[in-house]
Amino acid sequence: MAQAKPKIVFDPWNDPKAKPLIECRGITKRFGDFTAIDNIDLNIYEREFFALLGPSGCGKTTLMRMLAGFEAPSEGAITIDGQNVADVPPNKRAVNMMFQSYALFPHLSVWENIAFGLKRERASKERIEERVSEMLRLTRLEKFARRKPHQISGGQRQRVALARSLAKAPKLLLLDEPLGALDKKLRQDTQFELMDIQERTGTTFVIVTHDQEEAMTVASRVAVMNNGVIMQVATPADIYEQPNSVYVADFIGDVNILEGNASPGPDGPENAVQIHYAEGEPPVRAVANAPIAQGSRVSYAIRPEKISVGFEPDPDRANHAQGRVIDIAYLGNVSTYRVELPGGKVISATMTNARRLERRAFTWEDEVWLSWTQTAGIVLES
Amino acid sequence: MNLRRFILIAVPYLWLVALFLVPFLIVVKISFSSAAISMPPYTPTFSLTQGWAGIENFFSQLSVDNFVFLTQDDLYWKAYLSSLQIAAISTVLTLIVAYPMAYGMARAPDEWRPTLLMLVILPFWTSFLIRVYSWMGIISDQGLLNQFLMWLGIIAEPLHIMNTSKAVYLGIVYTYLPFMILPIYAALEKMDDSLGEAAVDLGASRLSSFWLVTVPMSRPGVIAGCFLVFIPAIGEYVIPQLLGGSNTLMIGKVLWTEFFSNADWPLASSVAVVLLLILIIPIMLFQRNQQKNEEAGR
Amino acid sequence: MFKTLIPATLIAISGTMAAAEEVHVYNWSDYIDPALLQKFEDQTGIKLVYDVFDSNEVLETKLLSGSSGYDVVVPTGSFLERQIQAGVFQKLDYSKMPNSKYLWDKIKERTAQYDPGNQYAVNYMWGTTGIGINDEKVKEVLGADAPVDSLSLVFDPKYMKKLQSCGVMMLDAPTEMIPAALRYLGEDPNSKDPKVIEKAEPVLEAIRPYVRKFNSSEYINSLANGDICVAFGWSGDILQARDRAAEAKNGVTISYHIPKEGALMWFDMMAIPADAPNPSGAEKFINFMMDPENIAAASNYVNYANGNKESQKYLDKSVIDDPAIYPPAATMDNLYTVTAYPPKVKRIVTRLWTKVKSGT
Repeated sequence: MAQAKPKIVFDPWNDPKAKPLIECRGITKRFGDFTAIDNIDLNIYEREFFALLGPSGCGKTTLMRMLAGFEAPSEGAITIDGQNVADVPPNKRAVNMMFQSYALFPHLSVWENIAFGLKRERASKERIEERVSEMLRLTRLEKFARRKPHQISGGQRQRVALARSLAKAPKLLLLDEPLGALDKKLRQDTQFELMDIQERTGTTFVIVTHDQEEAMTVASRVAVMNNGVIMQVATPADIYEQPNSVYVADFIGDVNILEGNASPGPDGPENAVQIHYAEGEPPVRAVANAPIAQGSRVSYAIRPEKISVGFEPDPDRANHAQGRVIDIAYLGNVSTYRVELPGGKVISATMTNARRLERRAFTWEDEVWLSWTQTAGIVLES
Repeated sequence: MNLRRFILIAVPYLWLVALFLVPFLIVVKISFSSAAISMPPYTPTFSLTQGWAGIENFFSQLSVDNFVFLTQDDLYWKAYLSSLQIAAISTVLTLIVAYPMAYGMARAPDEWRPTLLMLVILPFWTSFLIRVYSWMGIISDQGLLNQFLMWLGIIAEPLHIMNTSKAVYLGIVYTYLPFMILPIYAALEKMDDSLGEAAVDLGASRLSSFWLVTVPMSRPGVIAGCFLVFIPAIGEYVIPQLLGGSNTLMIGKVLWTEFFSNADWPLASSVAVVLLLILIIPIMLFQRNQQKNEEAGR
Repeated sequence: MFKTLIPATLIAISGTMAAAEEVHVYNWSDYIDPALLQKFEDQTGIKLVYDVFDSNEVLETKLLSGSSGYDVVVPTGSFLERQIQAGVFQKLDYSKMPNSKYLWDKIKERTAQYDPGNQYAVNYMWGTTGIGINDEKVKEVLGADAPVDSLSLVFDPKYMKKLQSCGVMMLDAPTEMIPAALRYLGEDPNSKDPKVIEKAEPVLEAIRPYVRKFNSSEYINSLANGDICVAFGWSGDILQARDRAAEAKNGVTISYHIPKEGALMWFDMMAIPADAPNPSGAEKFINFMMDPENIAAASNYVNYANGNKESQKYLDKSVIDDPAIYPPAATMDNLYTVTAYPPKVKRIVTRLWTKVKSGT
């Protein structure tokens, strides 16, 4: 796609001179026998919108609570803006948190909720007035300043929580599943609003979420966590296109995983590899990131939208497989076909619905050809 | 309206009518009678045997003399005031004792809470009188407390607690403590823990988080608990009678005297009617508080 | 008052037959030898349901409400008088109660002032209202020459102020306390004149601050275990405290004194409510209690004198010879009685009492 204007690339993590705002060094957190966080190293840079993504119980919330100061690491050190925060209690950290439940004070009005933090730092009356008004404007809540939390809608409450946590202009804002309580439509709108607010205030955001779409949408970088370990930290595009493990590939979006033995070559680009994934099927021709030893066991991950479906094999693509359509999921803009190969292996392929429904080419039980290019998939060493 | 619905509504109303309204109307009726040496000790008595004339005769004999009398002797309003005062002080004391307990319970680990709750409720399984008598055994001059303190050498002479107003307050606080703990606990328990964390996160110290968030959040429970202690404490009779001294003036005792010593049922009834009228104010405030909570309830 | 609820374990001695005839008796607490209850059942085959109270007021309220369900009740004379006027009782049929011949004339004369002709009730026990003291403690506080046999011990603030430290309790009964205060002043204790009655107020108010509690039952225990050193109460109760202290061997010795100025003599009377479910059973019970041996056993047990001349043969020496129980003739003549107050005066009396107790 052609970019209208050149955009300055925001990637401090690629700049060896950049100093991270938050540095986690060897963080471990144990609750009794249970290790919630296992030796994590992590850098988060100023102005980043950083997402901690993972299933529930993966340790992402614990990590966030350690940044806020509600939990202390069992081992390791956290530095915020160069300062080791081990002995800094939560109320003395320049970090604010937006709680999953919003934790709005039900006995206080919207205005008072937003002013709460400013009053605690004994800001002047004028400063509080000014700052609260600014926050109300930012979150478009001016009309609701005098209402109590139970008198406004869920979306409005979410914005109050955001306004309240931003009022003190923290260096770091932590958001714990900020959109979890909203319905899908509102969630999408709010995602963009969050990004907008993050950009306008220039605050560093760390968001905790189990919703990969949400993480991909809002974040500049995503850390995928599992069992107290960070699996991969990368930009959303890299996470999607260059997952470093089957876990990450599988966690983010839909993926077909083919397992087989690799053999180099036979021709083509550097690190070309053939993967023998099923008896009677031609091997998949792929390109690995690094040389693969003959006969090593690999996983081959390929996204459904990278596979095209046709009555004939596509001669422009290097890989082909024939099978029978066993299922069609019609999603409006796209349809996903589940195609069973003769060996019983089922592969998903997504096609854009360029035509109207009745003109659709394939239907159940059709014998079809799947075709994909040599670089469409990723080779992951097991 | 179908029958099932009708019965569902009728049963509680019948219950109220039979066990509250009818007895109350009888008390009101007696309060307009006059004392007499007879069985029952007042006139007129209601009888349908004389027909309409009997009913007319009955109503013509009713009078408001008893209510007038209540205003003429300062004993009664002093007793009402003294009851209100004792009830108010007891309520405050109960709150002071109950709040930390409720707070501790609400903050206790989940698995302890049923046990703690049970410990609060458990005394109810013993007769109230036996518990009050136990206190007599504890605080009397030769009681356990004094023996213990004297054994420790803290005091040389026994402390006179029994038969003083201190004992009355102790008795009321002890007896009504669960009525204060439970609503406060209920309010604190349903409070989202993250509210306190949010306050701290926004820069509040633990203490100011308690005052600015926990206390206001528990307010409905505190108000409910205060009413639940205050309202019955006003009419309390047994505790001042058993633990209090002779100078503890409470309307319950005055009522007892009128009813039993003077055998003046009509005057005793009018004392009771006025007491109920006085109680209606806090009861209505209590109802309003409950309703407000329900409306604000999330 | 409420205290009754605890010891008032309904002493329902199980009868042999399920549908047996029952007689319900309502008497003062600690006022009979329990063995007599069994004896009555064994003799008559009637199931005895024996219930107790500790205040005339509670009894009276039950009687005035009607349908109390009791066959025999035992009010004190002045209360009996008022209850007779209210029509609570039925007349006794003496022909059915042959033991009535043993009744003591001297007592019958006196009870006739409550119940003219003794038509409604016969005496169960009688006693005096006087002073019980913890000998050592009173001596310790007031010295050896303490006026323990005078009303001034309890009505003179000079003594009461000192006694306060070791504890004084008095009956919570204006009909006992006001006559005593009037007697102390040399007035007619049985006066129904409000102007005379009001003279008792300053006397009582002056000693009020030194009285730990006005209560009609707690003083037995308090005296016995040394919580208080002086009680103005009923003779038998104080003697009971004496015996309990002796049994407990707690170093407390109690003695009872009839004040030399004179003491109130009171009579607890057995009567049958007009609506008694089993009046003939009631007559049998009253007749049983008028048996000289039976009533003597009761007196021996509770340390109260009874109104049965013949029973005196069967009394323990320690009872019949105790001047605190059966006062000598000279003391007897000095005892006074009081009759019921008319309703208006009764109100003045209780009001005065409330004022004394609460200061209002």
